[in-house]
Amino acid sequence: MEGNFNPHPASQAPIETPMNRSFQTRTVKSKWKSQFTSSLFVLPYLICFVAFLAYPLVYGIVMSFQDYELLSSKHAFVGLKNYIDIFKKGDYLHTSFFQGLLGTVKFVVYSVPFLIIVGLALALLVNSLPAKVRSVFRTIFFTPYAISASVMAVIFIRVFDTNAGLLNIVLSKFHLPSQIGWLTDLPWAWIALVGATLWWTIGFNMLIFINALNEVSEEMYEAAKIDGANAWQRFLYITLPSIRKIMIFIIITSTIASFNIYAQPFLMTRGGPGSETTVLLMNVFDVAFGQHKMGAASAMALLMALMIIVISIIQFRLTREREE
Amino acid sequence: MGLWKRAWGIAAAAVLGTSLALAGCSSKSTEETSSPSSSGKQEITFWTPFSGADGPFMKKIVDNYNKQSDKYYVKFQIIPNGEYYKQVDLALSTGKKRPDLMIMHVDNIPTYQKKGQLQPVDDIAAKAGIKKEDYVEAPVKYATIDGKWYGIPLDIHPLVLYYNKDLFKAAGIDHPPTNREEFIEAAQKLTDKSKGQWGYVVPTLWPQQFIFPTVVGQNGAKLADEQGKPQLNSPEAVEALTFLKDLVYKYKVSPEKVAQDGEVTLFLQGKNAMQLNGPWMKDQFDKAKINYGVAPVPQLGTKQQAVQAGSHNFVIPKDVTDAKVLEGIGDFLKYVAGHSIDWAQSGQAVASKQVLASDEFKQLTKQQTIVAQEFDYAQFNPPIINWGAMTADLYKEINLVLLGQKDPQKALDEAQEKALQVK
Repeated sequence: MEGNFNPHPASQAPIETPMNRSFQTRTVKSKWKSQFTSSLFVLPYLICFVAFLAYPLVYGIVMSFQDYELLSSKHAFVGLKNYIDIFKKGDYLHTSFFQGLLGTVKFVVYSVPFLIIVGLALALLVNSLPAKVRSVFRTIFFTPYAISASVMAVIFIRVFDTNAGLLNIVLSKFHLPSQIGWLTDLPWAWIALVGATLWWTIGFNMLIFINALNEVSEEMYEAAKIDGANAWQRFLYITLPSIRKIMIFIIITSTIASFNIYAQPFLMTRGGPGSETTVLLMNVFDVAFGQHKMGAASAMALLMALMIIVISIIQFRLTREREE
Repeated sequence: MGLWKRAWGIAAAAVLGTSLALAGCSSKSTEETSSPSSSGKQEITFWTPFSGADGPFMKKIVDNYNKQSDKYYVKFQIIPNGEYYKQVDLALSTGKKRPDLMIMHVDNIPTYQKKGQLQPVDDIAAKAGIKKEDYVEAPVKYATIDGKWYGIPLDIHPLVLYYNKDLFKAAGIDHPPTNREEFIEAAQKLTDKSKGQWGYVVPTLWPQQFIFPTVVGQNGAKLADEQGKPQLNSPEAVEALTFLKDLVYKYKVSPEKVAQDGEVTLFLQGKNAMQLNGPWMKDQFDKAKINYGVAPVPQLGTKQQAVQAGSHNFVIPKDVTDAKVLEGIGDFLKYVAGHSIDWAQSGQAVASKQVLASDEFKQLTKQQTIVAQEFDYAQFNPPIINWGAMTADLYKEINLVLLGQKDPQKALDEAQEKALQVK
């Protein structure tokens, strides 16, 4: 063929020797072998994917079209009834879904900016430390991420308690207002939930940001320094644009994680004051296991899924367009 | 694009976490705690939610039974309390890995009976020589539906009054209060704001699910009528809630803005003199080494004595038909009826009259005998399917009232309206 440029002429093996031939067959064989072995590595994931993701999803979609009563063997097909009920004013499902959704959306709006800003700030802080102590602090900030939700909740119930909590006691020592209802009043309840969430999960975002910061080339900073850019300018014009892709990733994953808020309000505020911090997943679980209405609960969960997907797409489009 | 795919994958994963739990693929976190040696014996699987301090007490009963029985072997399984009914529901609905015998709270029995998941225990009881009269009446009566008996009671756990003996002594009060007047008077004497000490810290969340119905019952009303219609905004209910609110804002014997478990924390710190809570708190208070006393709940309502209670019952799923298994269940239950003294050691008062009358029971620490005194007027949640859903908003409204953010009448009117939405 014309213009067939081979950059590795040596690998064409023009001279056939017995030794060479045996070498060739061995490589073909090992290539096939290695491909087979690599596909084997995918297999466990594939099995898990089908068993734990694909199958439940399909099952959930089917259930959402049924009057799926958990304690009964009859699961009559009811078409869109569950979805219609969710949008019917005055229906229990309607109140449950939209009241919960409001709580969830509030949490997303309050928490995501902090999850990003604090995560990045911690990453910058840890990165600017001397190399010797860097890993120590990285570990310290990441440790809470490994703690279970119930342990986290027990800790923060004790920190935020109105009358015997650590925070109010500390405030009173400084003669500051110390009768704050961190878990019982607004806006404090949201502040406490966002605070606890930050402490619990920020390590993950921080780690990703640290990795991204390490990828930024040192030469760019050097050049900017010579050009007279100050620290803030270097951050704004070099760091931020360089970690853009990771930033998008963090924005999307943080939004999804915040949408799935459940344990913090369930354990710390019990959805109070009143139903202010009652979030959507709490209501989905209530419908599913409190009332045994699996079909309706699946419809609620799927609508929530749909919303997360739409929001992720919008976020992605918005951030991508700027790139082009 | 890689990133895009990843975001998608995570979105799907996040969402599916929910579907996953709903579809019932969640792994079962049961814990087998019984010793082996079941060889040749008929096995009976027994599920319980006793994941707290009470677990070892039930295990002891089962172990002792297994040692003395040469025909049957009870396989004792603990499922974490918060997971229990989820696992039970999934097991019953799929019919796989279901228990032969299990513990169920008495107020869940009507729901599971109406959904056709339970079988009557009359025949098994008759064969094993277990009689209704052997047990305290309230739970037996409640678990008898359309003339058939569905649950054999193990214990009854009513609300009780815990009080700090040291604080009572310092305030010069010689006995725990028995009615509303004494209660308010004592609480006011015990309150010393300068020391951050309170007479009775009013919880705004759990365990209001026990406290509020107790006061309503003491006012002579029920939260649902005979037809199963909720009556959450009756004058008696409004009076009860107003009284609880007044403790905070009028009598000022409780701090405001009490968060979840706030009253327990203050009680453990010796800054809350009285607490209404369940008998299951005993273990925690013992470990904290507080000098506390237990008394029946004072009559805080205006009409009569009453107390909200729960009760653990033995129930048998409908699909258990093997005659040998059923016979074994009867044999085990008969044994438990005579040996539930081990269960009483956990702080619970048992429902078996034989054990209640025994010297062993009377010699137990004071709590169990005090608890047993309340049995005559114990009440349970109304026998209505979805009662939990009907009252979910009730307790959110009560929360707002006790936080001083809503008027009792308005709150209960709205709770009633929401309850009527539940089908």
